[in-house]
Amino acid sequence: MGTDVIDRYVTDLGSRLQGSKKQVRDLITETRDSLEDATEAHLEQGLTETEARKKAVEEFGPVKEIANEYQAELAVAYGTRTLIWLAIILPLMHMAWEYGRMLLIGPWQDFGTPPPSWYLFIAKANDLTSGVASGVALVALVLGRILARKYDTKLLAKLAAAIALLAVGVVLLGNVAILVATAHLDVSRLMQSLPMSIASLISWTVIIRLGLLARRCLSCATIVG
Amino acid sequence: MKPDALRGHLDALLLATLDGKQLHGYAIIEALQQHSGGALDLPTGTVYPALRRLERAGHVTSDWSTVGGRKRRTYKLTPTGQKALHAERNAWREFTTVIDGVLGGGGKWAQT
Repeated sequence: MGTDVIDRYVTDLGSRLQGSKKQVRDLITETRDSLEDATEAHLEQGLTETEARKKAVEEFGPVKEIANEYQAELAVAYGTRTLIWLAIILPLMHMAWEYGRMLLIGPWQDFGTPPPSWYLFIAKANDLTSGVASGVALVALVLGRILARKYDTKLLAKLAAAIALLAVGVVLLGNVAILVATAHLDVSRLMQSLPMSIASLISWTVIIRLGLLARRCLSCATIVG
Repeated sequence: MKPDALRGHLDALLLATLDGKQLHGYAIIEALQQHSGGALDLPTGTVYPALRRLERAGHVTSDWSTVGGRKRRTYKLTPTGQKALHAERNAWREFTTVIDGVLGGGGKWAQT
């Protein structure tokens, strides 16, 4: 029994690709369509079914080379998607958290003694991280579109992954810093409101999820040869 | 024609093939081969990542539709792609004029 040459080629190609499931499926569907179209064209020229299918696969190119080019595109697409998420989610998450804090806890100054200057510095830096990370992601998206044809796709994929990782890293660092600083200053502030503790937990879940997306971007970009 | 010589021009060739038409992948490949008299000898699989690159640059858009009972992704030029094609054609004309001046029969290099 056997799988024919087109099935084997398509399966082999699919097994080498990593990225969004939908995008991989689209590329594989398109590949199969192209190979079937080429087979039909070769049949019309008088080749046998077996010869036509074999020739279609040969013309398509060595599977390793084609997979490499496909993977570069999948990696850029994954990087783009992650940067879009970062550009949208980070500022929204930060605004939601701050709005919730103002409603449920009120300004930090309302807690007796004003916080020391080092704490305010960390708090302000943390407030900026989401905006800066989101801005960097946005700029990277615009530049990525402008430079799409000017630079090698593999390089763009790696850059997108690096920017995504850096952006999430900065936000993570800001959140860890404010958490540690608050615990150092007055640990009870961390648990003074259950809804805010839940909001913080959601924020951490989102940051970790974005971190995993950025990590997968890098994985998609670095398996390209 | 060798694949390496073509790669640098693949984007322009694809834009030109899609000028005024909406085609699926294999139809683009067939049109490329037809217009070149079969001289364009590129692995056909390299056309698809190039089409995605053009889509990423905003020069083409794609849609899935059923053609002949099979699901196919069809591509067409965007207004930005039309402008890019215009620029590519101008650049190519300038390039061939310059090269032809040197390599063609009338240049001083030809006379030496």
